[in-house]
Amino acid sequence: MLNREKNFKPDHGKWICGRCHVPLEQLKVQALYLQGAFDVTLPRCPKCGMTLVPESLATGKMVEAEGLLEDK
Amino acid sequence: MHATQSLCPVCLRRLEAAYEEDGDGAVYLTRTCPQHGRFSALVWPARDAVPSLCSFDQWHVVKTPSYPERPQTGTDKGCPYDCGLCPSHAQHTCHGLLELTLACNLACPLCYADAGGQAPPPDPSRETVSGQLKRLLEASGRCNVQFSGGEPTLRADLPDLVREAKALGFPLVQVNTNGVLLGRDPELAQRLAEAGLDSVYLQWDSLDPERLAVLRGTRVPNLLELKERAVEHCARAGLGVVFVATVVAGVNETELGDLLRDAVRRGPVVRGLHVQPASFFGRSPCGLMSSRRFTLAHVMQAFCDQAPEWVHGTDFHPPHCEHSLCSFNAVYARVGSGLKSEREGMDKAMGGGMAVAAAEGSRIAKAYTARLWARPSQDAGRGDGAGADCCGEGPQDAFSQFLVARSADRRFTLSGMAFQDALSVDVERLRGCCIHIVRPDGRLVPFCCQNMTSIAGHALYPGRLDPAHDLAPDRSGDAPV
Repeated sequence: MLNREKNFKPDHGKWICGRCHVPLEQLKVQALYLQGAFDVTLPRCPKCGMTLVPESLATGKMVEAEGLLEDK
Repeated sequence: MHATQSLCPVCLRRLEAAYEEDGDGAVYLTRTCPQHGRFSALVWPARDAVPSLCSFDQWHVVKTPSYPERPQTGTDKGCPYDCGLCPSHAQHTCHGLLELTLACNLACPLCYADAGGQAPPPDPSRETVSGQLKRLLEASGRCNVQFSGGEPTLRADLPDLVREAKALGFPLVQVNTNGVLLGRDPELAQRLAEAGLDSVYLQWDSLDPERLAVLRGTRVPNLLELKERAVEHCARAGLGVVFVATVVAGVNETELGDLLRDAVRRGPVVRGLHVQPASFFGRSPCGLMSSRRFTLAHVMQAFCDQAPEWVHGTDFHPPHCEHSLCSFNAVYARVGSGLKSEREGMDKAMGGGMAVAAAEGSRIAKAYTARLWARPSQDAGRGDGAGADCCGEGPQDAFSQFLVARSADRRFTLSGMAFQDALSVDVERLRGCCIHIVRPDGRLVPFCCQNMTSIAGHALYPGRLDPAHDLAPDRSGDAPV
């Protein structure tokens, strides 16, 4: 498991949780995929835990890591 | 065990066929031609011959078919006589192969394309190749591209063709070569790299000059030395190299462990070792009927026996793109001067035994090959984690650290592919093929269909560089060759 974290803020704008109507906060979350676990800080609703994965992360490093965890 | 269809190796007519197991667990593909009799080919060896491997039954991935979005031929005579692809083809293109020439600077006793003869047909023109690339893109999207032949480096416009393929957006562009010109001309690798070439698929059969001569002839006496120089030139140019060994029982099957150790020793420029048990089509030093069948399972067991320090039977898995009997794959991490398997957890990654959609298998295989066979990055070998911090924003996040630790540069693939000849051909495998040769007229023909020849040498799809040639003759009925 890797635990050196980095803050991934939204690509733009201020985000509000659609369900709880409170602003998202930068909170530590653990992303799990197959046998990989990644501790990162992401925009998250402090009430319900809904997490935003910024597009740049989802289509960038996250997809690269996902590819490396998959095999032919 | 399992019913399928095959061909008569004499007349290439389609026949009902079956996989049959004998008392020792060896599996054979058998069928009977009403005119030429019964034929049988070993597909999986007896249990005691492959003690490190799973059984034939377990070597299997279930796939739901994915049909061509834009078929270029109709379904008329039935598989394998309608290739182009027809609407019944069950897998997308993973690799599109373009044969740029049938000229060659070697005259290998073993050559699937029967290239390097005294009077090869004219090379397809630049315009023809451009048309083929565009047709491939229309039919198959952004798959991986391999320029093949003959010897494609003999074409002076090869860098231009590479540039054109990259400009069309194909993610991995590879050249399949014997390495002679790459070894002789130190600038060629650089020119190809500048054009955007990602990977060199380098014929690499033996480290012993005498064995090499059996497979590759003696036209170039210092062949091994030139190949080694080619690797150096590719490394300098930043190109990824995949070593490709054709294995013939009785010639080089005892050398697989040494080939693996040698490939690893040469460092990250060598992205993997890919082994192809010889198939009997085109030109071959051994007869189709008389040769000992060396199957994929034999190859995997040979690695377990000859490189036990790194390779174990559980490292290998069947493919998720092509048919299970067409290939195997294993991924290792380069650790120190050796290898460590990265198999753990991969079953789960691919659905844990669930049926895989062929389209998803194809997507993953394309991305996998593009990632692991391409040029090593500038950061290859760096262990400080700085390589992945593209943004230069200070401390590494967990994703970046992972990307460095598991980067493609530190991985090594050990893979193999068993092509089908007229004795081992299974129509179901042909229908699931993802490696398609783009003919000059733009039709896509599965690799083994394009290369298939009968015992007497008649091709299923003749006139490989002739744009005007007819489709495969009708052998679906009772008319033998």
